[in-house]
Amino acid sequence: MGRDLKLENLTKRYGNLTAVDHVNLEIREGEFICFLGPSGCGKTTILRMITGFETVTEGSVIFNDRVINDLIPKKREFGIVFQSYALFPNMTVEENIAFGLKMRKMPKKAIAERVDTMLDLIGLSDWRKLYPSQLSGGQQQRVALVRALAPDPQVLLLDEPLSALDAKIRLRLRAEIKRLQQELKKTMIHVTHDQEEALSIADRVVVMEKGQFRQVGRPIDIYKNPSCNFVADFVGTSNFFEGRRTAAVVDIGRRKIKVTRNGNGTDEAVSLAIRPENVEVFKGDAVPQVPEPMNLVPGRIDVVVFQGAAVRLLIHLDGEEIISDIIEKDFEQRALKQGDQVYVYCSPESYLVFPGGEGKK
Amino acid sequence: MNPVETSGKRFSSWFTADNLFTVVIMSILLIILAVFLLYPVVDICRLSFIKDGAFSLQNYLDYFSEPKIFRSFYNSIFVSTVTMVITTVLAFLFAYGLTRTTMPGKGFFYTVSTLPLIAPTIIQALALILLFGRNGVITRYLLDTSWNIYGATGIIVGEVLYCFPNALFILYTTLSAVDTRLDEAAQSLGASALKTFFKVTLPSSKYGIASAAALTFNLTITDFGIPVVIGGDYSVLATEIVNKVFGMQRFDLGATISVILLVPSITAFAINYYLTRKSYAMISGQARPFIQPSRPLKKWAFTAYSGFISASILLVFITVFLGSFVNTWPYDFSLTLKHFDFPSLGASVPLWTPFWNSVLDPGPLRDMIAIKYAPIWTSLMVSLVVAVVGASITLIAAYIIEKKKPRGEQLLYALSVLPAAIPGVVLGLGYVLAFNKPYFLIYGTIWIIIINVVIANFTLGVLSGTANLKQIDKSVEEAAVSLGAGPVTTFTRIVFPLSKVAFLSTTTFYFMRSMTTISAVLFLVSAQIKLAAIEIIFLDVDGRTASANAMCTVVVLIVALFLIVMRITTGSSGLTGMSATK
Repeated sequence: MGRDLKLENLTKRYGNLTAVDHVNLEIREGEFICFLGPSGCGKTTILRMITGFETVTEGSVIFNDRVINDLIPKKREFGIVFQSYALFPNMTVEENIAFGLKMRKMPKKAIAERVDTMLDLIGLSDWRKLYPSQLSGGQQQRVALVRALAPDPQVLLLDEPLSALDAKIRLRLRAEIKRLQQELKKTMIHVTHDQEEALSIADRVVVMEKGQFRQVGRPIDIYKNPSCNFVADFVGTSNFFEGRRTAAVVDIGRRKIKVTRNGNGTDEAVSLAIRPENVEVFKGDAVPQVPEPMNLVPGRIDVVVFQGAAVRLLIHLDGEEIISDIIEKDFEQRALKQGDQVYVYCSPESYLVFPGGEGKK
Repeated sequence: MNPVETSGKRFSSWFTADNLFTVVIMSILLIILAVFLLYPVVDICRLSFIKDGAFSLQNYLDYFSEPKIFRSFYNSIFVSTVTMVITTVLAFLFAYGLTRTTMPGKGFFYTVSTLPLIAPTIIQALALILLFGRNGVITRYLLDTSWNIYGATGIIVGEVLYCFPNALFILYTTLSAVDTRLDEAAQSLGASALKTFFKVTLPSSKYGIASAAALTFNLTITDFGIPVVIGGDYSVLATEIVNKVFGMQRFDLGATISVILLVPSITAFAINYYLTRKSYAMISGQARPFIQPSRPLKKWAFTAYSGFISASILLVFITVFLGSFVNTWPYDFSLTLKHFDFPSLGASVPLWTPFWNSVLDPGPLRDMIAIKYAPIWTSLMVSLVVAVVGASITLIAAYIIEKKKPRGEQLLYALSVLPAAIPGVVLGLGYVLAFNKPYFLIYGTIWIIIINVVIANFTLGVLSGTANLKQIDKSVEEAAVSLGAGPVTTFTRIVFPLSKVAFLSTTTFYFMRSMTTISAVLFLVSAQIKLAAIEIIFLDVDGRTASANAMCTVVVLIVALFLIVMRITTGSSGLTGMSATK
């Protein structure tokens, strides 16, 4: 079993408010886990319960087969990287990195060596004598990262470490964190509200809403097979439709859509979701040949948003709107423009079907 | 495999370990404040309700039914109200000039306006007497009139000069925080300059104005130094308390008047405190320091006005300085140092007297330095201890309140803020009543004085400490803890270094207060233990005005020297942003 981290029925209540609601998760040693969710979903609360800065109301945090609910943060030996860097402003870069080592009463020589290794790791050796205020945000967060790693923590916890940074630096640092994780094989738990960040960095993503886990899985599974409306909406972009399903046909009122997924109940309320990149667009001069003509609808291009590699189209169907992302090259080739009459086609297998039909339009 | 429980307890050991630290420190602080703040005040209240060993309202009936005594209540309210109005108007105009005009010499004006903080409150009264007293250089020498300034006029003028910097700090902060673009917006919409002032500038700083007014009222009604020197027969509550206790040994009446004084003083403080918070809530982060060039008339009018105020404040200091160096004011202006050879009021002081005795050769000079200057050395010693102890204890209290937020934190906070509302005379009398008992071994030593000054000025230390700690990101401390630091290490290695500036300015503040305070320690000095600031009063009462001036000059010079040393060694000016409430 090794040094795995387990959350069992973990719950946090503040008075009547339940911030974290009976969640269960097993994090294997060396795994990179990402908690993803909107602000206030309880992801940071879970992180703080793991670190020990927040008490556990119910359930347990188990590390290395021991319940550590009552262990002081110091004894847990978990490293933490904070959103606000939280470097000690009164200490230089190297003093910051050495702090945790001094607290563990490491011999002086070993500390110096370890600090050197850490500075090499982030390429900031020349900056060691500077104070945090003399560094850029990205540099500060890198120092904070190795400061937490220096005492060789059992687990590294990252609390939205990139959200205070510029977009460009965020991407670079994201790659750097991933590289460090793979090099050091350290268990890392990362909290973020940025879905792109979560999908690109983690081995497994935990999508949270209202204190509960909505889906736990590999990034690709989360994206391709979202478990519910919320995940389909929060991770990536989706078009949603409400309707009633009979066998493999969903009646959304204005028209019927053929689907393949999720069994064949009889006349149940469902909601449908489809990713914009699965919405195909054909020029409207001739009816295109498609495998399932039922799913072909005429429409008009209302808005064209150029996004670099892709082009996002807002297409007006009869009484509805649908978003389609097509590759810029295809857009060019098909000579599409705003106001064009088009045909829109979505294959039956590209529709995600969620029973219940409480999803958003 | 079933997980193994680390402990059977439901309590988290971290929370108990950390709590233990917090609870122990907090209990110590609460005990200190309970014993040295609450107990004396409660004791005063208790005594005021007792007559012949039984509960009675007789003391209060006596007070209110005897017109001669009741007069002091009316007088206090009168001088405080007039001082409040005058000071607030004067300070507002001054602050307006500093923040909203492009007049020259702002730095000079600001610095001069803070000067009254470094002197005992008595200095204004001493200067006014030298200028406008029975033998005043202006009244007797220049105008040859029999009019003089003793009484209400003197108290009011003196208090205005003394309260001015305190009111100015609040108004300066308010006016520099209110967004000047509001003014510009009003003018771009067609409002005249005057209309803009009355419709925009004035209303947007109303909380600051009211808070400055309340503070001035509180400072005036609790002050003892000015009325005792210049009041003459005009008695106010603070002098009446001392009169009853020292003159008639009537502790019960002193206690009764103390309670009566507490009512307006606490009310004014509460209003000031409430409004200060409100006015800070109105501060816009968008405030912009840029000021349009003022029209010449406005610019020079404000320069002349600020010049006049600054000159008045400087005149106080210059007069007292001169008064201590000239032979016989106002008849013989030849210079002399004889007033610095204080009449024999000294006593041997531990540490200092042996020190001077070993350094200096026997003779009159050694007697003067080692014995006659004893009050000065005692004051210096007390002030240094107070500075370090006061700044440390208030920083720790602020840390507990702001960062640890334990159960009962509200109580600690309330007790920490309370001292500013208690008049020094009342707290001092409370100490006599509560601690003048054989088993309080520290009574009659310098330690009771040190404790009194630390407690009496607790408020500002805690408020400036919490304001500073608010700026330290909570995760910085968590980072330290997660890296293995315990509560003590976190405090000493992280929190304290990050609070150094606030700590040093609190140190300076405590030193200044300790050197210059009169009312709080008046009851605690004795024939063995004398303080320089108190000696000024005794010298003055003895009719040795010139020596009183000389002693005042010495106190001012010591404080100024301390400020300069702090400035050079730490690079920060202790006076910036300092006022009785912050």
